[in-house]
Amino acid sequence: MDDALLIKRVHDQDQKALYQLYDKYSGALFGVILRMCRNESLAEDLLQETFIKIWRNIGSYDETRGKFYTWAYRIAKNTTLNALRKNDLLIQTEDLSVYGTTSPTETTPDYTELNGALKKLEPHHQEALSLIYFKGYTHREAHTVMGVPLGTFKSYISQALKSLRKTYGNELMMFWLLTELISNG
Amino acid sequence: MDRKRILEEGLLEKYLLHELTVREQFAVEKALQEDAELQSRFEMLEADFERMAFENAIIPNTRVKESLKTRVESEHTKQSNNWPLFAAASIALIFLSTSFWLFTNWQDAQKNLDTIQNQTTDLQKRLNLLEEKTASTETQLNVINNVNTIPFLLKGNAKLPDAHAVAYVNHEDKLVMVNPKGLPELSDDQTYQMWSDVNGEMINMGLLSPNEELLALQYINNAESLNITIEPAGGSEHPTVENLISNVML
Repeated sequence: MDDALLIKRVHDQDQKALYQLYDKYSGALFGVILRMCRNESLAEDLLQETFIKIWRNIGSYDETRGKFYTWAYRIAKNTTLNALRKNDLLIQTEDLSVYGTTSPTETTPDYTELNGALKKLEPHHQEALSLIYFKGYTHREAHTVMGVPLGTFKSYISQALKSLRKTYGNELMMFWLLTELISNG
Repeated sequence: MDRKRILEEGLLEKYLLHELTVREQFAVEKALQEDAELQSRFEMLEADFERMAFENAIIPNTRVKESLKTRVESEHTKQSNNWPLFAAASIALIFLSTSFWLFTNWQDAQKNLDTIQNQTTDLQKRLNLLEEKTASTETQLNVINNVNTIPFLLKGNAKLPDAHAVAYVNHEDKLVMVNPKGLPELSDDQTYQMWSDVNGEMINMGLLSPNEELLALQYINNAESLNITIEPAGGSEHPTVENLISNVML
């Protein structure tokens, strides 16, 4: 179903529409939240909190200022950052010691693993995008983490986005060509 | 803020990631509204980020959705369970309306009561006046109807031939009543005055006004006649004999 219609229904307090939005976007948002906090239980609570905020504040969403997902992503990111600050858990390193209670025999999911087009980017581009998008760092914080000047970091992001665009653009082109070929028999 | 600066400084990414200050955010939003190409680039960026997020999606445990449902439904129930509040508010409203209605009615009743009290006081005054008048009339009638009362007709002389008055004299009770209705009206600077003649001396009995029906005058012992003169307003100490208009022997 069209997002605009679902959003309108949520605005009208239609719970089913909220659950449909949840079905559509919870995975993408959970991917962000979990990579930020690296604690599954906390991430689940924060995902729920994110959708409660969406439910309560849907009236403040303005479709002329961006897509619904962008708005929901910002809510998820802010909710997670606030929770981490509150719990003093803002440990954004590769150190997984936060999972110290996990048994060594147990399989620990690798929340840092990235997929899709992002995985195909050069490692420093991949890391730059991951820091700002999946780990909640600002540009100013992220360049310090990477140990490169801010200008260099900005150019990493710019190049990473261009590569991403190229990949998605090519895939779109391939999809279009395939569609054309199938339709022309 | 121009497109070049926004793109060079990576402000679109920062805008999407909610990293900008409020001032920068407004500037970027304004530029997006005014620049269709910039808007198109932003939409592409949004789409790419969203796709990247979907490619890296992690499906949450179903308990999250169940828990969300429980919370949303409990909030909805709480909202629906506001009826006691609405009931209380309604009762309060009814109470206020009733109080106001009662207060208005009480005010009206108070006004009506005040009016009735004023009318009653007025009626009481009028009643007292009537009682006084009745008592006075009764006294006068008693005087007139008394067997010892002798009526005397005082007819006008040549000066005022149409004038006449009636005097009621009771020698037993030493009372004199006069009905001056038959005397013609005088100018404002004149009045009728009545005198008793005692051994050739005219003694003042009082003033007469044609507007009165019956007047009590001073009884003079040993009066031989009753006389009416026209005097300056306020009366005189001695009668103006040339203005004598009527007299009667007792």
